[in-house]
Order: sequence, then C-alpha cells, then structure tokens
Amino acid sequence: MEVKLFGMIAEKAGAETIAVAAGTVRELRQAAEARIDGLAAMSYAIAVDRRIADDALKLDGNEEVALLPPFAGG
Amino acid sequence: MSTDKPHKKRDIFIDGPIDPAFVAESIAKHATRTDIGGHEIFLGQVRADMAGGTGGGSSARTTAIDYTAYRDMANEQMTPIREEAFARWPITCLHVYHSQGVIKAGELCFFVFASAAHRQAAREAVAYVTDEVKKRLPIFGKEIIADGGHQWKSNT
Repeated sequence: MEVKLFGMIAEKAGAETIAVAAGTVRELRQAAEARIDGLAAMSYAIAVDRRIADDALKLDGNEEVALLPPFAGG
Repeated sequence: MSTDKPHKKRDIFIDGPIDPAFVAESIAKHATRTDIGGHEIFLGQVRADMAGGTGGGSSARTTAIDYTAYRDMANEQMTPIREEAFARWPITCLHVYHSQGVIKAGELCFFVFASAAHRQAAREAVAYVTDEVKKRLPIFGKEIIADGGHQWKSNT
C-alpha cells in the first residue's frame, strides 16, 4: 500500500510516499521504520483514513495511510 | 453573509500569508448580523526566534516558516473542533484560516475569528479553537534559518 509522508519524515525518506505491505498498523510501523533511516527514533503518528490509528488496527490495503511528524500549526 | 453551521465543511488553508486586509474584510462582512455584540480574533504571526532554542549552537534567527499540511485530514479534523465550539459556547459564527507555503517573520499565518452576542462566549471559543487547532491538525512547519539551514517546528 502507498503511505503518504509529511514534513520531517518526507525529508528523511527523500520522498512524498513509500510503498509497503502491512496487515496491521503495527506491521506498517515496522515496515516504515525499516525503510526510513531515523524514523524509529522519532515521535510520529500514523493516520488511517485521516484519523490517528492504534497499532492494533487491521489494514486491508485500501485505506489512505500517512505518517505524521509532530504537529506545528499556529 | 456568514451563517456558519457547525457541520459546514470548508478549506481552512490559504496559500501564502494572511493579508491584514482579509481580516478587515472578514470583520466587515458581519455588519449585517445585528445579533452579534462582540467579535474575538486571534492572529498568529511568524516570530524570528533564535534557531536551536536554548543551548543551541546557532546564533541565527528564523526568517520564515514553510508550512505544509495533510490538507484533507486537517480539514476533516476541523469539523469536530468546530462542533465542539458551537456546542460549548453560544457563538453565532466561527472562522478559521491557516497559511500554507513560506510565511516570512512578521507575516500572519493563523486567523481564528468568533462572534457572539456577548464577549465571554467569543473569547472562550477563540481560545479553545486556537489551542485545539495547534494540537489536532496535521500541519507541519519547516523553520528557515538565516544561516541557510532549517529545523522542524513542533507544538509538543
């Protein structure tokens, strides 16, 4: 599945998206951390269909998924 | 005319800085709403902080913030914040705008505007919405530093 990247995470990855295979948010996290240097040490959230998701959430591959670094609005 | 309903979905993002004239026009649009007795406004302005914070090696200042956002999610997350504000306070309308792109120090990047019959409701709603937007909307800020570097802003 395609994963959208933002801010510092997009900068670290050198890309706006990455493609990973994952059946849960936890697997997505592990796959992304294996792909993007420094991600494991960062504070970030995972959004599934535009909501912050828990690690246990199952994925069927059709969701809109994104990795979100710390928010900085305002 | 501004007759915002809490469920109304809209795009809060403006490309570039928020023009003070836009703020003035927004106020002027409410002249026909004679049930309003007070407006409350918060305006966020980009500050020329010293880069690196305390103990940072750099003596250069932030010259701008390059804002990006997960725009669809941010606009969706705005809906419950708006509903919470209308549920908690008797406000007549609420407007929120945030910049995208490079905003230089001294320029406006964030505009929260509530109107109500009485000042207390408008004040409290603006304070709440300002805080919740900063906490809950996926907006990201790259601070551009005078020495040519950059660092990532974080509200947490």
